[in-house]
Amino acid sequence: MTQSQQSFLVIGGGIAGIQASLDLADRGYKVHLVEESPSIGGKMALLDKTFPTMDCSICILAPKMVEVLRHPNIDLLTYSEIRGVEGEKGNFRVIVAKKPRYVDPSKCIGCGVCATRCPSRVKDEYQMSLGDRKAIYMPFPQSVPLVYCVDPESCLFLTKGICRVCERFCEAGAIDFDQKEELVFLKPSGIIIATGLRVSKPIEIEEYGYGRFRDVLNAMEFERTLTATGPTGGELLKPSNGEHPRNIAFIQCVGSRSLREGYPYCSAVCCMHATKQAILVKEHSPETTVTIFYTDIRANGKDFRQFINRARTEYGVNYVRGKPGEVREDTETNQLEFYYEDTLTAQIHKVNVDLLVLSTALLPSEKNGELARLLGVQTDEYGFIKQLDPLTSPLSTTVDGIYVCGFAQGPKDIPDTIVEASGVASIASTIHPSIGE
Amino acid sequence: MSTRSVLPRLGVELVDPEGFSCCGYPLRSMNDAAWFYLSARNLAISETQELDMLPLCNGCYASLNEVKHYLDTDDEFREQINKTLALEGLYYEGKHRVRHILEVLNEDVGVSKIKESIKLHLDGFDFASHCGCHAVRPSDFRYTDDPEDPKILDALIASLGSKTSYYPEKLDCCGASLIMTDYEAAFKLTGAKLKSIKRRGFDGLVTNCPFCFKMYDSRQEAVGKVIHEEKFDVPVFYITQLIGLSLGLGSEELGLNFNVSPCDQVVSKMEDSR
Repeated sequence: MTQSQQSFLVIGGGIAGIQASLDLADRGYKVHLVEESPSIGGKMALLDKTFPTMDCSICILAPKMVEVLRHPNIDLLTYSEIRGVEGEKGNFRVIVAKKPRYVDPSKCIGCGVCATRCPSRVKDEYQMSLGDRKAIYMPFPQSVPLVYCVDPESCLFLTKGICRVCERFCEAGAIDFDQKEELVFLKPSGIIIATGLRVSKPIEIEEYGYGRFRDVLNAMEFERTLTATGPTGGELLKPSNGEHPRNIAFIQCVGSRSLREGYPYCSAVCCMHATKQAILVKEHSPETTVTIFYTDIRANGKDFRQFINRARTEYGVNYVRGKPGEVREDTETNQLEFYYEDTLTAQIHKVNVDLLVLSTALLPSEKNGELARLLGVQTDEYGFIKQLDPLTSPLSTTVDGIYVCGFAQGPKDIPDTIVEASGVASIASTIHPSIGE
Repeated sequence: MSTRSVLPRLGVELVDPEGFSCCGYPLRSMNDAAWFYLSARNLAISETQELDMLPLCNGCYASLNEVKHYLDTDDEFREQINKTLALEGLYYEGKHRVRHILEVLNEDVGVSKIKESIKLHLDGFDFASHCGCHAVRPSDFRYTDDPEDPKILDALIASLGSKTSYYPEKLDCCGASLIMTDYEAAFKLTGAKLKSIKRRGFDGLVTNCPFCFKMYDSRQEAVGKVIHEEKFDVPVFYITQLIGLSLGLGSEELGLNFNVSPCDQVVSKMEDSR
């Protein structure tokens, strides 16, 4: 494999950062891929299926993740964060802090005995807090690297100075509580921002009862309840009482496309992910009634419209154009009830459902602001990284030599993200080796 | 009456300025100038006393606050109103607030002070709380409580030892605003809530709005006729009546003898537990 003197820094290890890193590395450039969490994979690793092909998300992603790990040109820095950036195109100087995992990656074999013995239980962010994990954990079964990690906030030894049970049971001798934060100094020619998205908790849109009624979930939480690696092992159950829901509703545009509270932009993927989830529900139990309350259906990708047609005709998913009003919980039937207007017929109806899924606004990473400050790039009012020019330089930021791809720039789906990631790798690799010497 | 008995015992002094009138809200859709003027006039009168205003009724509270908002944000409007107010020797400046009873009980008095002051713990009761629409709406006004999930009335009742279980109709309107134009529609709203409260086995309804109170307390029989329901027998309390009972005050001091709904059983059950 060819080796260039030039190296690149990719920030964010989701599908955008993974694809950009692989493209650059295949072209012979050295890539430092920095990911803040213990594993790469990002939001795509949380998904059960992808639309419109209904492929298993992790089955597509995991081979790419492993390729990142094994690629001779990729230096993978997980559980790490950017601390400082100086310099300019061709000659950046970046400080990266590797947080202590308290597990030696060269010794850990990923057997998981430590986690079975660990007595400290906390909410599992990979399960959107619908399940628990231990203080020593691997985010998900296909984590890359396959190395356990100690959460310093819930570890009994690190918080109270007691326990160390994991150390006793680790046959590989991989537990190392003496690990300290380590600083890494990089000199990349260019930087790619690929910090992705977060799913909003609809705190601004209170009338739907999210956080008050247990059977109101956001779409990512619902995705976890549908998946085989989810908190219920893939059995579709109501969080409140563990029963099978017989009637499920989706409310679209919760907090997005909103001029009242929330965000005015369209989150771009919700019409499709709601349809995908509706089909998954029907595949789990065809007799379940599924209704999607939409604003208008945005199915502008290749094969997307056909996907919605199939959901309607083959699977019997109901689509209603209308925005429900206040949601209440009927404590006697343990159902959620609400009124809505079907705006195609101008009729008011009342409906009771067992489970309500809110397709909430998708937001950029909450750390974009801090990162943008370090990098000197601009963000828009919602925290998306600003493009140099949306028409002619859509992958360039306002700083020469720093690029952006994927959801960090604006709402988009996985295929578009991958296109942008390959595009950004291509543009970054045009930085001439003589620049910065 | 119960508010006059209870608030001073919790350290809040009440003054009755001379000349107060109706807030004007009932005239709103017929003659908005009269509404503006009446609300502004009351605001100006309370200013002459250098006092915040405490209208107990949610409707008066919303009305006064809305007019106050116009006065405070529209110089021309304020000038015009002040010209008329000058005929009575009044002037609106806008330096005092219109307070809500929930806000005063929650912020000025505080749940901990209520807890310290009570003599009778109302354990074992489960009341349906009803704060009423205009305690929290219009939501743009950002009143003291959460418009989608109001919590203050529940917290106050909880400080006395009673539960306030959730019920789906909790945020529904009492119907009072429709009573003049379409009483059947109004009573359907009142009745739907009373019916639910009865079916769910609550010990009673507690509200902080006198107008809502009137709908639920004294109109049960009339409501029953409209929605063809035999008898509700739902005891209805005004919040300071409940606090007063917990402070150990007598029924007459709290005006309980004027409640039309059957509050006696609840009161005697409270006293039995003493």
